Amino acid sequence: MTKATAVRASGLSQHQFKWLLVVPLVAFFVLFFVIPVGLLFATSFNPAKVGQVALVSDLTFDNYIRFFSRSNYLIAAGRSILLASIVSVITLIVAYPMAFVIAKTENPARNTFLLILVLASMQLDMVIRLYGMMVVLGDNGLINQILQSMGLTDGPVALMYNFRGVVFGLVQFALPFMILTLVGVIMGIPPSLEEAARSLGASRRRAFMRVTLPASMPGILSGSLLVFALSISSYIVPALMGGFRVGVLPIHIYQQVAESARFQFGATIAVILFLISATAVAVYLKLGKSSSGGLA
Amino acid sequence: MERKIPLPMLILAILGFCYLLFPILVVVLAGLTTGEFLTFPPKGLSLRWVISFLNSEKYLSAFFFSFKLALMTMIVSTILGTAAALFIARSRFVGRTALRAFFLSPVVLPGVVVGFALYAFFITSGLGISRTIWGLWIGHILYSTPYVIGTVGASLATFDVSLEEAARSLGASPMRAFRKITFPNIAQGIQAGSIFAFIVSFGQFEVSLFLSAPNSEPLPIAMYNSLRYKFEPDAAAAGIFAITLVIASVLLTNRLVNIRRLLERQDG
Amino acid sequence: MTIEKKHSRRFILKGGAALGAAATIPNMFYINHAWAQDVVYDGEVFDAGGATLNVAEWGGGWEEFVRKGLTDQFEKDFNCKLNWDSSFPWFPKFVTQGANDPVYDVANWNLPNLMQTNAAGDFFLTTEEIKANVPNAADCWDFAFASGAGVTWAYQPYVYAYRTDRGALVSNFRDFFAERFVNKRGTYATENGLMHAFFMATAKEFGKDQYDMEAAFTALEDAMPMKISEFTFNMLSLLERGEVDIAVHIEGEALTLKKQGAPVDVWEWDSKPILTQTKTISRYSDPMQKKLALALLNRTLSPDFLEPFGEEFLWRPTNGKAAMPSALAAEGATNTADAVSAYWVPDWDFFVENKADITDRLNQIFGL
Repeated sequence: MTKATAVRASGLSQHQFKWLLVVPLVAFFVLFFVIPVGLLFATSFNPAKVGQVALVSDLTFDNYIRFFSRSNYLIAAGRSILLASIVSVITLIVAYPMAFVIAKTENPARNTFLLILVLASMQLDMVIRLYGMMVVLGDNGLINQILQSMGLTDGPVALMYNFRGVVFGLVQFALPFMILTLVGVIMGIPPSLEEAARSLGASRRRAFMRVTLPASMPGILSGSLLVFALSISSYIVPALMGGFRVGVLPIHIYQQVAESARFQFGATIAVILFLISATAVAVYLKLGKSSSGGLA
Repeated sequence: MERKIPLPMLILAILGFCYLLFPILVVVLAGLTTGEFLTFPPKGLSLRWVISFLNSEKYLSAFFFSFKLALMTMIVSTILGTAAALFIARSRFVGRTALRAFFLSPVVLPGVVVGFALYAFFITSGLGISRTIWGLWIGHILYSTPYVIGTVGASLATFDVSLEEAARSLGASPMRAFRKITFPNIAQGIQAGSIFAFIVSFGQFEVSLFLSAPNSEPLPIAMYNSLRYKFEPDAAAAGIFAITLVIASVLLTNRLVNIRRLLERQDG
Repeated sequence: MTIEKKHSRRFILKGGAALGAAATIPNMFYINHAWAQDVVYDGEVFDAGGATLNVAEWGGGWEEFVRKGLTDQFEKDFNCKLNWDSSFPWFPKFVTQGANDPVYDVANWNLPNLMQTNAAGDFFLTTEEIKANVPNAADCWDFAFASGAGVTWAYQPYVYAYRTDRGALVSNFRDFFAERFVNKRGTYATENGLMHAFFMATAKEFGKDQYDMEAAFTALEDAMPMKISEFTFNMLSLLERGEVDIAVHIEGEALTLKKQGAPVDVWEWDSKPILTQTKTISRYSDPMQKKLALALLNRTLSPDFLEPFGEEFLWRPTNGKAAMPSALAAEGATNTADAVSAYWVPDWDFFVENKADITDRLNQIFGL
């Protein structure tokens, strides 16, 4: 927060009706977010009945027992967490140089052009992007054709229809989010900090590792949280890049709800997924506190 | 004179950009193929799929539907989100951070979960909007508003409140101070936020998955449904149009908002 | 995990009656709703005043052809509009919205999913009610009504579609599982009717009979990794792109790929199961929608539609007055009352009863 937001209340803040500002959104969120999601979570405690959507008063833990007693659901949960974590790390590694270049490019036209590239790729439909990737990464896609014609591999290298392919897809999806988060932070690091380190005799790399990188930490943390949340909740990327063979929680939720009409169990998986995301947020907040700075 | 950006960084960044942009290149070229299927490299170039897309009632109507929905979402998200951001920035009470986190929370929940929850809610509550544009609109607003709050909030955070205080001390009423001082300064943030809201709504997939129906189908869903059945280039042609829309809207964003400046001030 | 074998209580009859032994299940959910009796249709064209008809049917190339060959004209003639929903599966949507507020007025099915839905509630008009109101139904063979809940209007035998430029020709059901096709085999997601039939056929081939689920699971497990697709047209594209060298498929659609010049051929399964297309009409649709639905079904059953559709995709008609597609007739296929008696219809009752467990197990095998 800037120095100006001192304790003195002023201007708008003394307006009696300022509460009116927030009431509409709160009402909207309560009615269309809290209540539906709450009802959904409550349904997870209902006995399983195909096709039944409404909440009933019968309560049971059966669905949770089913989730935890079948290895494929537990594996799916683990896979989801692993996937989101790996994607966060890889996205960070790929995004940082890009954000660094954008932040340090002084030519405004070039700088803006790069930002436009990032925003443009973010807006392009995920479905379209995925089909573009599938065409290139398939067993008989461009990359494999090149590899095989150059004699580098015997058979096709499986770049998709597997975990690896899902990672490729998710990183591509998450990159713009991470880049935009990091650019602001890197731009905010006073150059004088790095200059001071250099003038004290540090090499470029040392200055970077000791000064720039740690100073980017708030952006790294909030970007990683965002990417983690986006990756763990994605349905379309695992479905298409995974060839319906990579089981993560959103796919199971979709199957239970949209294919088998087993809503109670689908709700159960949703609760578990929510708890995982909430834990990630809690971890983030904890880390954020200890390194000062953060999203909130 | 040493370069500002070290060479290794530059190379990594270029590779990164290639990775980011190659699907777009593929889609554009695949949409221009003369062949029957989506392949890359394309078997020759032709406009037949672009024309087929333009003639395709299904894709075109989905395109306009998405556009309309995104506009509607943008308007409501901007109004509600800006109001909320103002409130949060200007109030002092204990649950303030929690409130902000609460408004940002839809982003953390999977679209599949929220979309499904809304779908079930609409049915059991008898609201009957489950497979209509109104149900979709509600879902999209939930997902777009956090971006408005984030952007406007950032803009407010760096706005110097003492300016407003000065105006007040010179006798301006709170409303006047806001209108004349605060608002012009955060206008950029609001514009950027609203464009983000539009972008997010246009490309929204998972929330729409449960809430759409044939006569209220956003473009991503129309494409997904079509591509489940066949892998045809007219979907890629739709992609070309989406790209054009993207570039146009981003250029527009750039004219309205100095993106670089906005990002610069984002860090509190 | 052991799955109890639940035998069907009904006899498995050859040919037609087995196409849907559900015909003999008393309809436990039948509610004599006055509404259900109100609509009659005599086969004439009428003006629907711009009404909207909700239709659930496959998309992609299928939708294109059916629109061109049937529904575009239908919309004009009857002054109505079709809401074509291709976001399969239909079952969860039917059960969520309930029978009294049917999500679709007309739906197109493969048998297993139809029977699953029919068992879950009073959704559909019975074949008796349909026969009374759809003139062209009188020309259809008896086996078209075996499901009791809808009219089967076309069928086609199962085949393997395979690339001819990848080695020896395919001549055996077990060729699919051969070493040379590792990770180049294609089959379908667990909701797809073709996967259901493939499962039953695999049980029959590798086990003692079609009920030997464990044998099927083992064989499919050994067949991994496989490529999973959602629909047949999509699979054709995988074949064409060379992502898949052999795939579970149906005769006519696979041959369209061959017609386009791709190096593809087909091999008909020796167990001879068939894939059927069956249309249902929702019992509690509004009167105008129901009348339109009956009219649409009438047109679907007419040779005017069935013949060109058959020529294009080699679907065999169930209407006795429609000609067999010429390519098939040339090889001696005939359109007769017991044309399907030569084919095997898997015991779908058994499948539907065990579907939840089978789906879970298949998901595990696929890696989900």
